[in-house]
Amino acid sequence: LDSKPYMWGDINVSAFVDNLSKQGITDIKVEDSPTGGRIVHLTDDDILIQLEEGSTHIICDSDESLRTKIRDALVKCLNRL
Amino acid sequence: IVMKDNKLRLIDPSEAMKELGLPEHKIRFTSTLALENEGTVTQTIDKIFNLVKKRLKSASVQHSTDGSITISDSVLIKVSGDDEESEKDVLLSWSYQDEELGSYLQRLLKAGLHVDS
Repeated sequence: LDSKPYMWGDINVSAFVDNLSKQGITDIKVEDSPTGGRIVHLTDDDILIQLEEGSTHIICDSDESLRTKIRDALVKCLNRL
Repeated sequence: IVMKDNKLRLIDPSEAMKELGLPEHKIRFTSTLALENEGTVTQTIDKIFNLVKKRLKSASVQHSTDGSITISDSVLIKVSGDDEESEKDVLLSWSYQDEELGSYLQRLLKAGLHVDS
């Protein structure tokens, strides 16, 4: 199994939302999180993306194709080592 | 490999980013799926453990003291639910570095535990 590169940088939320839209995902709601980060909620599929400084957590019970679209939209916002 | 003060060193990528002043960004995925399995939560965990161990011969698969399963460095599997109910909730979590492993385990668990081969 190949391992993926390590990523660095900060997520620009509007660039991330733009990337999601380009993937055809448009049911996007962005909120502030209690911990000072942002929460991106994809309302139609009940997917939560928690953006914090230094980390992102994607909580997704949906199908694999949607998860990989979100992953790719996120990775485009970061630099790889 | 990092070169510093004209010396080459092999260090952990997270450590390398710190030394280079790059802010690491960790990506993690969590997915919960429903799994049909008669028997208790503990029996379900044991079945998953045996299946994963069988399929991933080269990976480090371990039982944690809290009943969860850890695989490689970043993959975590937890089972919850009612011992009397046949449907259990399986939480699977993995980091971007273990993306292929996480995705594989998701497919494996979605296929269910009835096919034990």
